[in-house]
Amino acid sequence: MPGTAGRGRASGSGQALGALVAYRGATGGRANLTLGIAAFVLFIAVWYLIVFTGLVTERFLPYPGVVIGTMAQLLVTESFLNDVWISVARVWGAFLLSVVAAVPIGIWMSSYRIVGALVEPIVDFIRYLPVPALVPLLIIWFGIGEASKVAVLWMGTFFQLVLLIADDAKRIPREFVETGYTLGAKPRQITRSIVLPSMLPTMVDNLRITLGWCWTWIIVAEIVAANSGIGHYIWSMRRFLKTPEVMAGILVVGIIGLLTDQAVRIAHRRLFRYL
Amino acid sequence: MTAIQSRAFVQIQNVFKEFETEGKGAAPIPVIDGVSMEIQEGEFVVYLGPSGCGKTTLMRIVGGLETATTGEVRLGGERVTGPDRRKGMVFQAYTSFPWLTVLQNIKFGTKYRDDVSETERNEIANHYLQLVGLEDFADFYVNRISGGMRQRVAIARTLAAAPDILLMDEPFGALDAQTRDFLQEQLLEICRAERKAVIFVTHDVEEAVFLADRVFMFSARPARVIEEIDVNGAIGSERMADTKETDAFFHLRNHVRDLMRDQARAIG
Repeated sequence: MPGTAGRGRASGSGQALGALVAYRGATGGRANLTLGIAAFVLFIAVWYLIVFTGLVTERFLPYPGVVIGTMAQLLVTESFLNDVWISVARVWGAFLLSVVAAVPIGIWMSSYRIVGALVEPIVDFIRYLPVPALVPLLIIWFGIGEASKVAVLWMGTFFQLVLLIADDAKRIPREFVETGYTLGAKPRQITRSIVLPSMLPTMVDNLRITLGWCWTWIIVAEIVAANSGIGHYIWSMRRFLKTPEVMAGILVVGIIGLLTDQAVRIAHRRLFRYL
Repeated sequence: MTAIQSRAFVQIQNVFKEFETEGKGAAPIPVIDGVSMEIQEGEFVVYLGPSGCGKTTLMRIVGGLETATTGEVRLGGERVTGPDRRKGMVFQAYTSFPWLTVLQNIKFGTKYRDDVSETERNEIANHYLQLVGLEDFADFYVNRISGGMRQRVAIARTLAAAPDILLMDEPFGALDAQTRDFLQEQLLEICRAERKAVIFVTHDVEEAVFLADRVFMFSARPARVIEEIDVNGAIGSERMADTKETDAFFHLRNHVRDLMRDQARAIG
């Protein structure tokens, strides 16, 4: 691969290298991918060396190969796949409930000053409450079933998301709204046909970032109170000091996150070709 | 003062406007200081004045996007209370929608008309696409075309909504000189075809004299009309590309430029 790929680009490679180190230089797909992979390889190499030199005992930090092997094994184990599926379902369920509430309320906050002025202080206050501190309360309220997990995730994302959405909506040019009026649109029509499409690209970006947070809160929730899910799996393996299993579980969360993120990025590029 | 029973299409009657300022005891800032005028159907009127003098605010009051503190504006005899489709507006900022193509943007102008069918919407969109000469760019997203083209899209979209009056707020302000000259000529052609009343705001003297039937010269803030210039009377109603080279144009432009300098000096 290096032989064929390198030849055609030989003339431009000096320039490409320059752009990589220049302040705010141009970014390119291939170079970014290569650097991304190189960082991963370096990370694993350092990890390997730490174990190999005995800096940390294998009991606490197994070889990368062992962790990856454990993960490969887990991915064909039915009970673990079930845990993965449950966590994914909880994340997406709670996330969608957050979106369904945050999008209309956020747009509403930016459309009418009275709504913004009423809602924003409360949202700002709740936003700063640490979600893990809310877990005991939510368990008292919702028990240890699915409802409490969804509640934790919802609390952790809704209040952040609603402000982001309100901001996205507020940031569309005033002239867009005024254009709507002078073309004869009513406020509701302006929201649907001008505000929403105009804010959509930044909104999808914010949704992608918020979805990432869901994975933090789900693990917290599953560690505290659950008998299923990846978080529960990681926590129960800890009890037997099965470090490879614990790390494999963490790795799976990372991989799911990475894949979802990339999928949304690709969808973003497809949906908003005009940008 | 009672409403005058005049035939004029646009009647601006004794409009005053003050902007409220933040802070305790801060006096409101007067922006428009008692302006009255009449504009006839099909007439091209230019508001000329130094930057920040309040001419745009006056135009926005005509468009219903701002309200007068006292006084009123009537359009076709009816009092203006808010923005709607009869008062079309073209802004200096690019307002063509990036998620739509050129043709879709123009068709958007017909979206809230209930007097036309879907087939007619397409016909109208295509008509104005041709009128502004963008046939070759119909399927381009507006981020892929130049600033001048984006303003032509905005003008076509506004016309597609069939307004009674066209309000233009320095639409060519952000464009380079060549594009500007070209669009000025094109705008006059379009207006000749459309026969709509136009209020065009600018602080460019040459642009004002070239485009206008009548120029209203405003003072520095708060805006008062300091002179009404009958351009048609001075240089005739015919405008060509070489009109700007004629003696008559030259003299009138110099006169208006002197007025403008006095006002600019007043701001310092």
